[in-house]
Amino acid sequence: MTRVLRNTALALVFVAFAAPVSAAQGGYIAHSETFIRKLAEQAIGTVAAKDLSGEQRRQKFRSLLRDAFAVPGIARFVIGRYWRSADDKQREEYLVLFEDVIVNTWADRFSDYSGQKFEVREAIDARGPQDTENSAIVRSVFYTDPTTPVRVEWRVANVGEIYKIVDVVVEGVSMANTHRDEFATVIRNNGGNVEGLLVELRRRREATK
Amino acid sequence: MVDGLLPCDRWALHMGRTVRVAALGRAAAVVLIAGLMGACATPPPESDKEALAGFREANDPFETANRLVFSFNVAVDNLILQPIAVTYRDVGAEGPKPAIRNLIHNLTLPLTFLHALLQGNMERADLAAQRFFLNIPTLLLGNLAPAQTEEAKKRFYEDAGQTLQSWGATSGPYIMLPLLGPSSVTDALGTVADFLIDPVGAVTSTEISIRRAVSGAVVERSRNVDMVRDMQAKSVDYYTTVRSLYRQRRAAEVRNENIDIQLPAPTIALDSERESAASDRD
Repeated sequence: MTRVLRNTALALVFVAFAAPVSAAQGGYIAHSETFIRKLAEQAIGTVAAKDLSGEQRRQKFRSLLRDAFAVPGIARFVIGRYWRSADDKQREEYLVLFEDVIVNTWADRFSDYSGQKFEVREAIDARGPQDTENSAIVRSVFYTDPTTPVRVEWRVANVGEIYKIVDVVVEGVSMANTHRDEFATVIRNNGGNVEGLLVELRRRREATK
Repeated sequence: MVDGLLPCDRWALHMGRTVRVAALGRAAAVVLIAGLMGACATPPPESDKEALAGFREANDPFETANRLVFSFNVAVDNLILQPIAVTYRDVGAEGPKPAIRNLIHNLTLPLTFLHALLQGNMERADLAAQRFFLNIPTLLLGNLAPAQTEEAKKRFYEDAGQTLQSWGATSGPYIMLPLLGPSSVTDALGTVADFLIDPVGAVTSTEISIRRAVSGAVVERSRNVDMVRDMQAKSVDYYTTVRSLYRQRRAAEVRNENIDIQLPAPTIALDSERESAASDRD
């Protein structure tokens, strides 16, 4: 009888301590959702504003990009195993080129924005048992026109107070993985030399200036 | 001789021998083997582990031939399909367009129903059957009822390739089919199977089936003209972008658009570490 009571008491103690902990842990999911909502408001308010010059738009986009996205981390992921074979100078240039190409490619698309609906639906837990960081997927829908919903999922990683977007998945297509395949092929077709990728990225940056 | 060869080359040799056995003659067999082997991309040497891993990951042993066919497809698209699609988009009367799309979609429902059944997905099969029968009275009018708009947002397709994968087949190496576009070994076999078993195809002639396929292509193409142009212009390597998009879209279709939580993704840890570390799990 005593043992049962003791075990029950222990169980209750564990539950009492577990509840607040899991609430704190689960908090990152709700925070991730808020994070994306706020980002959308900011983007629509600043980057998509009508009266901006190309240069101004790019500047605003770049600062938002740096705040909300783990740009060096994504760049590192996208180049994959070839990071090892790049020297310091190449690595520095790659990180700069990577960000520049994203800015040049995406900032201008915001000038086309004309009030299309963007709805954040929900956030789900994406943290796996092996993961060392919190991770959530925020599901949203962007209506390019009222009859064409496009599913966009934002993968948000969290460590402590830091929240950063690490991937954007559009209709099931992951931007990070698509570019990883692309860069790997460019490097492979260049005899495994990272310089080949840098040449391509420089060209891409020039072409989208 | 066979031992030193890679899988793709071995396959080429096998095909050549089969052709020869089919009594097409030694010369024809030699030409075929040489041609097919040329289609096999050369993998990196065993000593270069990283490159070899990358080669296997890409799963594109026919890359050389695929790129050739891809160039052909892009040329046909630029010269023929795109102009037609743009004309349809810009000059075609807007009114009948939703009806045309609905009609084309309705005609895919019987095959979707069949495959949903084969995959054991009763819910989807039910939905496909329902939609098809509800649409029959107004089939030729393309169902312009407002209720259809909500449904249109959740259209789905099932095909033989997806069924095979739901039964456990892997998608196999990447193949770029002439005119039909990106595919995989499994999906290409599926396309052939679907052509034969499509219930709608059974009640219409081949010519109508082909016309249906072409109209479908024009209509869909007209809806993504700008996006494709954008992609073509901004890709670092258009061929690889298309391959990656195809594979990811296919994987999403096979899991019925459910989210893949285990997708590899960057981490914040990668963000702050500039040196290579144990996190190189590739």
